[in-house]
Amino acid sequence: MTAVMTDISRILQQRKDIRWLSFWFLGMIVVWIWDALFLDPLSYELVQAAIFNTFFGAGAAVAAALGLGWGGALLLYFLENGKKRFFYLPILFMVNLIRSVPQIIGLLIGYIILSFWMDYGVLQSAAGQTLWMACVIGLLCSLEIMDLIAERIAYYKKSDYFHAMQCCGMKESRIINVEILWKSSSAHLVHKSVSLFGDSIFLQCSIGFIISVGLSNDVSLTNFPVTLGSLLAKLDSKQDILAVGSALLDPSYISHLFFQHLQGVSVAALIVFTLLCIYHIADGLIHSYDL
Amino acid sequence: MRRTISSSMFSPLLRKKLFDHLASILFVSAVFIVLLAVGVNREKNDREKRHELIEMMTKLQNVNLGSPMQKSLLRETLDVFYPSEKARNDSIMQSIDAYRTEQYTNKVYKTGGAPEGLSWLGTADLAGMYLSFVFVYVLVLIVSYYAVQTFALFSFIQYKQQKSSYLLCAFRQFWLIVEKIRRGDIPAKEAGRCAVLVLQACCRGGVLLVLFAPAYIIIYSLKSTADTEPWVFMVVLAVVSNGLLINYAHKFYTFLLAESRKGYVETAAVKGLNHSYEWNVQGGIALRSLLHWKKYFPLHVLQQVYSNARYQYIPTMKQYASFLISGLVIIEMALNIQGHLCYELLQDILFERYEMALVIMFGIFLVVKGTEIIVDCWFARESAKYENRT
Repeated sequence: MTAVMTDISRILQQRKDIRWLSFWFLGMIVVWIWDALFLDPLSYELVQAAIFNTFFGAGAAVAAALGLGWGGALLLYFLENGKKRFFYLPILFMVNLIRSVPQIIGLLIGYIILSFWMDYGVLQSAAGQTLWMACVIGLLCSLEIMDLIAERIAYYKKSDYFHAMQCCGMKESRIINVEILWKSSSAHLVHKSVSLFGDSIFLQCSIGFIISVGLSNDVSLTNFPVTLGSLLAKLDSKQDILAVGSALLDPSYISHLFFQHLQGVSVAALIVFTLLCIYHIADGLIHSYDL
Repeated sequence: MRRTISSSMFSPLLRKKLFDHLASILFVSAVFIVLLAVGVNREKNDREKRHELIEMMTKLQNVNLGSPMQKSLLRETLDVFYPSEKARNDSIMQSIDAYRTEQYTNKVYKTGGAPEGLSWLGTADLAGMYLSFVFVYVLVLIVSYYAVQTFALFSFIQYKQQKSSYLLCAFRQFWLIVEKIRRGDIPAKEAGRCAVLVLQACCRGGVLLVLFAPAYIIIYSLKSTADTEPWVFMVVLAVVSNGLLINYAHKFYTFLLAESRKGYVETAAVKGLNHSYEWNVQGGIALRSLLHWKKYFPLHVLQQVYSNARYQYIPTMKQYASFLISGLVIIEMALNIQGHLCYELLQDILFERYEMALVIMFGIFLVVKGTEIIVDCWFARESAKYENRT
């Protein structure tokens, strides 16, 4: 038992990523148990649904970003090397154009398109709406994956590694997809995916909050799947967050926050704590794999 | 000399980049003009058609939509006729409510009311808001450029001083306490040290939570205790919140770390350049130099490490600009103050005034493009210096 504890403590000391992943799980479990004990059942269900939708959306956004980024980077690479400038330049131009669109503006445009569709009876299911917004986030974040893949290919092309494999008769697509990206860059891709997961959660919560605060007249909020951001924008959650300010002036009020204002406080805590942990997990991966 | 610098600065690469920027501005302008001319008119027609439908429903005989019961009946009827389109039915009911409210509140329906969409008066108001948005943006960009470098250099110096995290130290102390208890000793000293470390970790954690918190959480936390309306509050919030400062400071920190591992640093140290990272000692780092606007560490290896890291950091400012705009939009929308550009954008989307929304979005796009052009010119100028082209 002591040996196991010592091993765990050694791993936790050496691996920042695993340490922060453990903190994250621990924090989530603590909030979950606390909410189960002290939050009213209706709000508890809402919080659970919000967590699920947010993480599902963020996961889907990362998957979309990986798919689009990988595909886009390879398309650009083969068009450039195949001397197909006629197709290469317009695609590169569009990629650079997307780069200049602030993410939140891109998401607002995505939301406008979604609300049009919903008005006309398209995309009525909650999963479909979450996936659509995840695809928009994925498109906006895919440029980072594209840059990373282009950078990794350029790095290996500079060394003899690439040419040696070509001399061995290996196909260029196999060298890039399997040898460079899958076998030699998986740690880089995992690190980027973790950072993008954090970015996606932030963007999803922000757009959820903005839509719920300012744009709820057009399409009913009940039509949209609840996320941590939209739950935070609800009147009772906002009151709970306002109470945090009161507690700053009157510290004796702090104890009330964890019982009377639990919905807003736990949602805000989940968002901030998740972002903090994901940042540290990503940072830990850099140190662990010397990225 | 000046001519030499300017001609060398406009290298073919920069010329190509500037051409790309101008082409994308022209392309987006053309798209916006087409959208304004075609798309918005179509949307207006659709809206009028939808209004006709809603108007027809509001004029249904024997149906009083002011009565909640009759409204529910209409809603149930819609559900019976269109059972698979519940969301659309919901939207129609909401549109009916909005339409009825609009009849009493919209300026357009009042005598002498201003027409909807783009007008000279509206555009002049918008220009004022746009200028104030650009002013805040530039201010935040300058302040965060300083803050990112200071924060990153501070972290880098702490790393060089081999200071490990408070939490890790507390964890080690905790194991010492466990060991001592197992041996039957009283770990009073270790327990005290552990408590102090946990307290320090909590303080640091509090600061980190603020740095990672999305702006709207901070805004709502402080709304009841502080005046959140002045632009100074907005600038501070834009710099510290949304994880921008911490993420970009970390980026700068990784550049510093990568640079410090290069061979020239060790060579410089061997040749006698100062390389101690202790605060305010002979041959160390002066805290004043770190806090100065122009970071300057004379006769210290950090000077070269910093200069090279700064050079690599310049292109990331383009990405930073895009993130910063997102942060500012979130802050302005969350603050919900009338007279701010992004509040107007939100209102325009809400009331389907898409011409105005498009103009604002185009304005924001121009700010990002302007920043990208400036950053590219700046980077080309720095590159010219590095490649001895000046």
